[in-house]
Amino acid sequence: MTCDEAKILLPEYWSQGLGEAEEIAFEVHLADCEACRTEASRLGSLWKGLALVPAEEPGPQLRGRFYNALSAYRQGLESAARPRWKDKVAAWWPKQPAWQMAASFALLAAGIGIGYGMRGEKPREEVHQLREEVASMRQLVALSLLQQQSASDRLRGVSWAYRAEPSDTEVLSALVSAVKNDSNVNVRLQAVDALHAFAASPMTRQAVVQALPHEKAPIVQVALIDLLVDFKDRDAAGELRKLAATESVDGGVRERAQWAVERLQ
Amino acid sequence: MKKLLMWSMMAALSAPLAMPQDKVTVPFRDASRPRKLVVDSLLGSVTVRGYGGQEAIVETTPRAGDGRGRGGGRGGGRGKQTEVPAGMHRIGGNTGGVEITEDNNTINISGGFFSPVDISIQVPTQTSVTVNLVTGRTLTIENISGEVEATNMNGQVNINNVSGSVVAHSMNGKIMVSLNSVMPDKAVSVSTMNGDIDVSLPSAVKANLKLKTDHGGMFTDFDIKVDSTPRPPKVEDRRDKGGPYRVEMGGTTYGTINGGGPEIQFTTFNGNIRIHKK
Repeated sequence: MTCDEAKILLPEYWSQGLGEAEEIAFEVHLADCEACRTEASRLGSLWKGLALVPAEEPGPQLRGRFYNALSAYRQGLESAARPRWKDKVAAWWPKQPAWQMAASFALLAAGIGIGYGMRGEKPREEVHQLREEVASMRQLVALSLLQQQSASDRLRGVSWAYRAEPSDTEVLSALVSAVKNDSNVNVRLQAVDALHAFAASPMTRQAVVQALPHEKAPIVQVALIDLLVDFKDRDAAGELRKLAATESVDGGVRERAQWAVERLQ
Repeated sequence: MKKLLMWSMMAALSAPLAMPQDKVTVPFRDASRPRKLVVDSLLGSVTVRGYGGQEAIVETTPRAGDGRGRGGGRGGGRGKQTEVPAGMHRIGGNTGGVEITEDNNTINISGGFFSPVDISIQVPTQTSVTVNLVTGRTLTIENISGEVEATNMNGQVNINNVSGSVVAHSMNGKIMVSLNSVMPDKAVSVSTMNGDIDVSLPSAVKANLKLKTDHGGMFTDFDIKVDSTPRPPKVEDRRDKGGPYRVEMGGTTYGTINGGGPEIQFTTFNGNIRIHKK
């Protein structure tokens, strides 16, 4: 082995990377060559010195610092994410009040448009059905209350009758029957008032004309007369004239009947 | 003994009682069920008062020599000799033909058909009361918690200290009503042809008002929110045919007290309507 070959092997010798044969050949060369032996021992002391340098361990605070840094990073990421979305929207929204208002109206119009577009045939049918159900519920309440024993309840029935559809003949006939037959003056009086809503039906006019000669309470007579005037029912003039001529009838009622006859001419 | 008492009671309840005495006590059959009192009288006054007991106590006082000349009634001269002679007292006789029946917790009292009689009845406070009176005497109903129906054709109606509902009518009389509370699911209605309506209501009452007077005024110290869309006055011009020019301001006034609630109706033709806070 030459000195040049030995110098190439030297670092491997110290790091014990040589094969057995090479190591023996190298040691034989060192024993022969003074210069190589000196070189090897110098490198050897350096090598051993390096081994004495302690390996750098991570400090005890490092772990804590690492996790602090990590969570701070995450927080930063999150807080950064929100304003970013808002900023985007804000950038979209105009700064001028006039444009802001214009944008509001545009949104409103779009909303109405969408609502109008979504209003299909089916919901309209449902609304219609609902309205019918409410009407029949009102009819039921009015009819059942008008049958009650207590005058106070029957009065409530009359109030409910106001809310019935003008085409509701069942409620109408219940009201007519109350006008003709109810034992309580106040119920008859309010029932007459409720008939204003059913002016369109010929049944109403006929019933009112029929009720007039049978009614004994002056205050209800006056209400019936007023109703006939409201109906502009000229056919009623005969009955009214008769009432005005009946001496047993209250003076105020006769006056009112006379006034009504004039009005209907 | 107990059996005998029961028999006599049942006999008393099943048949109308002719009244030999001036004061009689009539039990309601079932104290746990709603009670009702119905009074029909032609001549005389009627007073109904609530009290703490469980029975109806009926007192009748024949009206001596009714000065109004209506004393005869349908019975002609049968109401004679009702005046108590000096130094004597009444032991029986004319009781005005008062009849009392109890049926299904309803006590019916009718009388005053042949001669005038004042009927005074005490009933448990929680009783519904219906009174129909025809004469010019006063009808008074007090201290009742329930439904009150009162009609007095020619006289005044006083309804005082009542909780519940009132339906009252008079043709010629004034109607005074003082309500302690109004039932939320009952209607109150007062009407009179020629009299005033004077009603006191608790200041916190919630109500929908319907008011009408043809020839009178309406007054109140309540803060009534009057419906702002009344029917416009009707104008009728017939001067071209030699007729009158007429503006009709009447009509019904609608309003609410304290946001609205049960319906309260006051109608009078010739009278005023006054609504007071209690």
